[in-house]
Amino acid sequence: MKLDASGLQTFAPHRADPDNLYPDLSAPPSFDLPGCPDFDGFQKKAIQMVKPAKGTTTLAFIFNEGVIVAADSRASMGGYISSQTVKKIIEINPYMIGTMAGGAADCQFWHRNLGIKCRLHELANKRRISVTGASKLLANILYSYRGMGLSVGTMIAGWDETGPALYYVDSEGGRLKGKRFSVGSGSPYAYGVLDSGYRSDLSIEEAAELARRAIYHATFRDGASGGVASVYHVGPNGWKKLSGDDVGELHYKYYPVVPAIVEHEMADAPPA
Amino acid sequence: MSRRYDSRTTIFSPEGRLYQVEYAMEAIGNAGSAIGILATDGVVLVGEKKVTSKLLQTSKSTEKMYKIDDHLACAVAGIMSDANILINTARVQAQRYTFAYQEPMPVEQLVQSLCDTKQGYTQFGGLRPFGVSFLFSGWDSNFGFQLYMSDPSGNYSGWKAAAIGANNQAAQSMLKQDYTEDLGREEAVNLALKVLSKTMDSTSLTSDKLELAEIFLLPSGKVKYQVCSPEGLTKLLLKSGVNQPAAEPSA
Amino acid sequence: MECVFGLVGDGFALIAADSSAVNSILVHKSNEDKIMVLDSHKLLGASGEAGDRAQFTEYIQKNVHLYQFRNGIPLTTAAAANFTRGELATALRKFCFGQSPYFVNILLAGYDKEVGPSLYYIDYIATLHKLDKGAFGYGSYFSLSMMDRHYRNGMSLEQAIDLVDKCIIEIRSRLVVAPPNFVIKIVDQNGAREYAWRESIPSV
Repeated sequence: MKLDASGLQTFAPHRADPDNLYPDLSAPPSFDLPGCPDFDGFQKKAIQMVKPAKGTTTLAFIFNEGVIVAADSRASMGGYISSQTVKKIIEINPYMIGTMAGGAADCQFWHRNLGIKCRLHELANKRRISVTGASKLLANILYSYRGMGLSVGTMIAGWDETGPALYYVDSEGGRLKGKRFSVGSGSPYAYGVLDSGYRSDLSIEEAAELARRAIYHATFRDGASGGVASVYHVGPNGWKKLSGDDVGELHYKYYPVVPAIVEHEMADAPPA
Repeated sequence: MSRRYDSRTTIFSPEGRLYQVEYAMEAIGNAGSAIGILATDGVVLVGEKKVTSKLLQTSKSTEKMYKIDDHLACAVAGIMSDANILINTARVQAQRYTFAYQEPMPVEQLVQSLCDTKQGYTQFGGLRPFGVSFLFSGWDSNFGFQLYMSDPSGNYSGWKAAAIGANNQAAQSMLKQDYTEDLGREEAVNLALKVLSKTMDSTSLTSDKLELAEIFLLPSGKVKYQVCSPEGLTKLLLKSGVNQPAAEPSA
Repeated sequence: MECVFGLVGDGFALIAADSSAVNSILVHKSNEDKIMVLDSHKLLGASGEAGDRAQFTEYIQKNVHLYQFRNGIPLTTAAAANFTRGELATALRKFCFGQSPYFVNILLAGYDKEVGPSLYYIDYIATLHKLDKGAFGYGSYFSLSMMDRHYRNGMSLEQAIDLVDKCIIEIRSRLVVAPPNFVIKIVDQNGAREYAWRESIPSV
C-alpha cells in the first residue's frame, strides 16, 4: 500500500504529468481511443487531469453555542490564482450550510441539487430535513458516481430537531459525523490552530475568532488558500454570516507593523 | 353471466370471484389424490396413482412424489405438465438458496417462493393459472418437520394432516377424526393408507396404484427422503389389512 | 493504519477495531465506529476504503434485516457470511465504466443457538474462512503473531480481553502509523454489544 498524499498537494498538476498525454502540442488535437493498449491507465490519467487537488482551506466545528463554519476564498488552477472572491460556504437553506473544497463546479452543482432535495423533503414531510438525512442524501449521490472523476470534499453543518450537527462528506463516498473537521490543502495548518484553541465552552465571538485565525494561518502557509476568511455561525435560528476579512489585513491586525526604532538620528554636521 | 368473466384470469366477476382459479381447483378435484401426515419423527406422503388403461406402462419410479432438495419433497395432485414446471422452479429456487447461503432452504420459504409464482399466474393477463395442488413436506433446523398444502390461487398453509385431489374433503374429515398429536411415523403410514383405501374409487388397494414416501432423520442427523418399493408396499398393505376389498363404498 | 481483529472464546466471539478515519496523512476523526451490529447476534468489523466500507456494510446489514422481516427467522452466522461473500464476489467481476469492486475486508462474528460462537474472515477478493482468530490491516502483522502465541481454545472473556489489550499495546508501540483508539465489541448468547473503548487520546 502507498500513502497517497495527493489530496494535500497545493498545486494541481497543470498539464504537466510525467508521461504526458499530449507530448506534442503542435500536433493536431487528438485523443487515444479506448482501443489503446492500456485503457485503464489512460482512463486513470484522464481522470487525474480532470480532478483538481483540493486547493482550499475550509473548517467547521461544533461548540456549545452551535456550529462555526469558516473558509478562505481563493480559487486556483495550478499555480494561477483564478479568483480571490469565491464563495466557498454554500447556503443550502436557512438552517444548513455546506462548504466547498475540490472541484468548484462539482461542489456547487451537488449542493444546489441537495438544496432542491431538502426543500422537496420539507414540502413532502412538513418538517425540515435533518442534517444526518441531508448529508446521507449527498453521500449516496456522490457514492453512486464513485470512480467517475467527481471531486468534492464538503462539510454539511446545520441545526435540526436534534440540535447542532456536522458531517464530513467526500466524493470517495466517505461520510463522517464529528465535532470538528477541516478540509482542503490548507487543512493541516488549520487543524493545528483549531485543535490547540478549541474548547466546547467558547463564546460565539471566541469561536469565530478561533475559526478566523485558523483560516488566516492556513492561508499564510498554504499557497492555494487566500483571499477572504469568511466565518458563519449556525444557531437555533439558522445561520448568520459573522465576518469576512481579507487575510492580508488580518495579517497586519495580528502582526502589526512595529515602527522600527531608529537607533541613531543622523544630524547634520555642524557647520564648521 | 359468468361468460364475461371466466375467459381471463385477471378479471373479478361481480360476485368477487375469479372463475379461472376456481376452474383450476375443479381440475384438481378429479386428479389422483394424495395425503400427507405429520408424525413426531417424520412426515409421510401417500399418493394414488390413476391407472387409466391396462396398456399404460406405469412408471417404475414415482410419478406423484418429487424430491426437491435433500430435505424437501412434495406430492402432486392436478395437471402433471403444469406440475413439472413448478417442480423445476422449486428445485432451482432451493439450489439458488444453497448457493447464496451454503445451507438448506427453510421449508416455508421454498413453499412461499413457489406460491408467489402460482399467484403471479392468477393476476397477469393472458396466462392460465397452474392446475396443481401440492403437499410439501420437509425438515429444517428452525421448525423441524413440516407439512404444507398449496392450491392454484397461490394460497398455502401448514397442516398436521392434509389431503389433496379427488375426494379430498372426505379424506380430510377422516383425518380430522383419526389424527392424534403423538403419532409415530409407522402409525402415520397406517393412517394414511387407511384413509386412502376408503376414499379411493377403486375397490382394492394394491401396490401398483400407490406411492409412499417418507421424510425422517437418520441417526447421523441427516434428513432422509425414502420412497417405499412396490414390494415393501405390498407387505405394508398386508400388515395393515387395508388391501381387502373395501367393505363400504367411498364417501 | 487500519487494524481489525477478532477471536472466538468460550461461549462468545469478539471483534476489536481501530477507530480512526484517515484521509492520506490526515486523521479526520478518532472515534469512528468500524464494527457494525448486524443483527441481535452478529457483529461485522470492516476495514477498507471509507466509502466502500460504509456503503457495503450498510447494504449487508439492510439485507440481513430484510431476510428477517420476510421470513420471520434470522440468518445463521454461516449463512450471513456466505451471503456477504457472494455479494463481494459478484461485485468483484462487475467492470462497467466507473464501477469498481468493493474494497472492504470483513470479520463477521456471531452467536447461534445450535453452533455457538463463530468467526468468519472475508477479504475484498471474496475469500471466506471460518477461523478461531483473524485480523486485517497493518495491525494484523502484530496482532496475528500475538494471537498465535497467546490464543488458546476456550478462553474466558477476561483472558480474551487481556489478549486483545496485548495486541493493542503491541500495535501502538510497534506500528509506525498506529491508530490511537480502539473499540471492542462482543457477541454471546445474550446478544451483540459494545464491550469497551481503549482510548489513548481524547476523541475528536
